[in-house]
Amino acid sequence: MLEVDHLVTGYGGVPVLHDVSLTLSAGEIVGLLGANNAGKTTLINSLSGMYAPMSGRIRFEGQDVTAMTPKQRVEIGIIQVPEGRLVFPEMSVRENLLLGGINARARAHRPRQMDHVLELFPRLQERLGQNAGTLSGGEQQMLAIGRALMAEAKLLMLDEPSLGLSPLFVQYIFGIIDRLHAEGLSILLIEQNLNLTLRHAQRCYVLERGKVAVEGASDVVKDDPRTRRAYLGL
Amino acid sequence: MAEFLQALAQGLLIGSTYGLLALGMGLVYGVSGVVNFSHGDFISLGMFLCLGLYSALALDPYVSLIITVPLMTVIGGLVYWYLLRPMVGHQFLMVVQLTLGLSLVLQNGILMVFGGQPARTPSVVESKLLILGDVVVRVPHVIAFVVSFAMAIGLYIMLRSTDFGRSIRAVHQNAHAAALMGVDVSRVQTLTFALGIGILAIAAALLLPGTPIQPAQGLRYTVITLIVVALGGMTNFVGIMLGGLIIGLSEAYGTIYLSDTLGMLLPYGIFVLIMLFRPQGLTWSSSR
Repeated sequence: MLEVDHLVTGYGGVPVLHDVSLTLSAGEIVGLLGANNAGKTTLINSLSGMYAPMSGRIRFEGQDVTAMTPKQRVEIGIIQVPEGRLVFPEMSVRENLLLGGINARARAHRPRQMDHVLELFPRLQERLGQNAGTLSGGEQQMLAIGRALMAEAKLLMLDEPSLGLSPLFVQYIFGIIDRLHAEGLSILLIEQNLNLTLRHAQRCYVLERGKVAVEGASDVVKDDPRTRRAYLGL
Repeated sequence: MAEFLQALAQGLLIGSTYGLLALGMGLVYGVSGVVNFSHGDFISLGMFLCLGLYSALALDPYVSLIITVPLMTVIGGLVYWYLLRPMVGHQFLMVVQLTLGLSLVLQNGILMVFGGQPARTPSVVESKLLILGDVVVRVPHVIAFVVSFAMAIGLYIMLRSTDFGRSIRAVHQNAHAAALMGVDVSRVQTLTFALGIGILAIAAALLLPGTPIQPAQGLRYTVITLIVVALGGMTNFVGIMLGGLIIGLSEAYGTIYLSDTLGMLLPYGIFVLIMLFRPQGLTWSSSR
């Protein structure tokens, strides 16, 4: 479904990602691990089209999307839940969800998608008229995921969904991720939390200083000594 | 007492249009961070377009709106797309520089076409008066008040309950997140700028009847607009309309109770005072 080929991305001519290749099949849940500054967020933003790559190619469902704008990528179903959630603080929960479904493909199905999201997150139903800025961190994460589902994601890319959440909420959010996976959604999960990701993802990539250091099935990656080394930056 | 009420009426009526002028600037600032120093010259442009249409086709300024609103909206869109967009987000000072340059181009362009002598554009309602007890108000001012508030309410509803309005607010609150949800940020910024200039075409026609115009007046309108926007807290709708009323009132009271020239200074004095004691603007929510 997603093929990243020898991707090089950087800022101001200085590459941050060096020759990263990655694949994700339909219905798969893939983890992307790495320490701070390993290039995880740069990679996910390249997939969203926020940066033009210096070289390499990105293909999605057989289509070359390398030159597509962020908007076009949303319209073909590549949706990101950004790090730090980035909900619109002075818009209500309902308005945040409606905005999530603003792309041309999703717009017509918003009422149906809204029902689905509210069934998934009953807490959001209670907060529907409340400004998103007044929600707790966990509720904002629910909203950020709900907003992405409103966009009718085919590939859902979650950037550090556990960041800053209480253990109870982390468990809840990962339960939701498992459920979305069971419903057939393809998921790219970016995390710092090693054990959590290895437990939920089928395959993992470990990034180290902008390069893929380890890749493979989660239990293989787990036992590879290079994983912990890349992770600890040793 | 009659004088007091008279000034109150006049201040409120004119102030509402100042509020409308400032809403356009506030919207543009909110979505693209551009402070447009040619704002007042676009008002001038709107006024002189009305004059031109009157001279050529004997159109009343209110009728000219059918032509000036679409025309200025398109001009606004083109100016943003081709001049401002390449610079937005890089260098704030360059953007300021650019809009200042644009101001001079507009001002001198108008001077070239229309000449420097003060001109007037007559309207059928120009000399009509409305007498309520001791207070005499001019009908154009009443029209300006009603239209300005109707526009403000219309804009508010548009921002709340349409997809375009929600995308404007989303870009304002977090442009990166808006882009990730498939909002074309540049397009929203361009359309908002076009909308802001289109609003100016309306405000120009509202201010025009009975007001002498000359090409160098733009700066005065820019400054008034900046003051109102700063008072209101840049992106706060209610605050901006309130700021417009305050500036309108202080101008009216200043002209009646002080001398003409001193009266024109009063709004600036009041602005400085308010900024000293409430640097965050008139309303609370802007500091959130």
